[in-house]
Amino acid sequence: MKILFTSKSQGMDALLDPHFGRAKGFILYDTDEKSDKWIENTENLNAAHGAGIQAAQKVIEQNPDAIITGSVGPKASAVLSKTNIKIYLTREKQLSEILAEFTDGKLELL
Amino acid sequence: MKEIVILSGKGGSGKTSLATSFAALGKEKILLADYDVDAADMHILLEAKHYKEEKFYSGFEAVINQEKCIQCGNCKILCQFDAIEEKDNRFYINPIDCEGCGYCEMVCPEKAIKMKDAEVGNFYVSNTRFKNVLFHAKLNIGADNSGKLVSYVKKQAKKYAEEEKIDYLLSDGPPGVGCPAISSVTGANYVVIVTETSLSGFSDMKRLHELVNNFKIPCGCIINKADLNLKVKEEILEYLEKNDISLLGEIPYNKSFPESIRQLKTVNEYDKNMAVLIKNIWEKIYKTNL
Repeated sequence: MKILFTSKSQGMDALLDPHFGRAKGFILYDTDEKSDKWIENTENLNAAHGAGIQAAQKVIEQNPDAIITGSVGPKASAVLSKTNIKIYLTREKQLSEILAEFTDGKLELL
Repeated sequence: MKEIVILSGKGGSGKTSLATSFAALGKEKILLADYDVDAADMHILLEAKHYKEEKFYSGFEAVINQEKCIQCGNCKILCQFDAIEEKDNRFYINPIDCEGCGYCEMVCPEKAIKMKDAEVGNFYVSNTRFKNVLFHAKLNIGADNSGKLVSYVKKQAKKYAEEEKIDYLLSDGPPGVGCPAISSVTGANYVVIVTETSLSGFSDMKRLHELVNNFKIPCGCIINKADLNLKVKEEILEYLEKNDISLLGEIPYNKSFPESIRQLKTVNEYDKNMAVLIKNIWEKIYKTNL
């Protein structure tokens, strides 16, 4: 399965970015291949308006099964709720640690 | 560090009057941020003197390269905001009207129009007369507040609070429930909803609560001008009860609010009776967020 994290930097040692729309970037983690891919989000971080909606579109294009972030705004939630992607909320911690919690079923589903 | 954001939905319900009063009570123990970048005013009442200043950029502004321009006038015909002016057969962008949409850049046959980052104002870090450090900004004429600007002020303030080990960030939010308000709520620990007993005050409060609920952030409510419309007040109280929102306090309509502003004082500096009421409310907020 593919899990998308909002992240402050590259690699699974990075810290979770608590923002969704204005996250620094996204990390797409593939649990089968144990690989992680970095996706920049500069254009939405710098957008005056509509960061949430545009980030949601960008994320959907990556086709993840789950999203793990700190908070999702009303407009991004409205877009994401039309998909089958599951959203989990957690705090600003290392992604590898969050992944372990996710695997143990300890994360809260939005 | 915990962030407490004061919001109302409807403007003029008493957000800033209360935020500045809380600032006077909290002194250096609380850090302040003013997210109402559009019409920032906390710094006026708190006589903030800035020690740091930066330029503030948000959105775009079109620029015409006069050497490349062939005066076809396509941009002027197509601009939806009438932001392009013609003078002596040359075309100019009026930066106040330009919304930065980029349509003109797209239609220019000579690629003479480029979008550049719009400088919208200044960002400041200041000391207030109550020894709080205040993060705020001031926009140029015609510039808009945006989620980007709010999140920038927030990020800087939070960073400072972490570095200086200040436990509380008290933020005065913008009116409305749009982009800047959404950015204000993002990452906050507690929201204080200031409402008034008018139909629009109550209606906006419900919209704001919906927004805060989306983020699952706990909130409390202050009913200002509580004795103006008792029927609406009953409805507000019912709503609070039904939605499990704690009532932080009720403030009767009081002329000290406008009068204190006129004299550049906080409400609790100006009116001793109000000071008692406001102190009780602040202690409730403080205790909730220990």
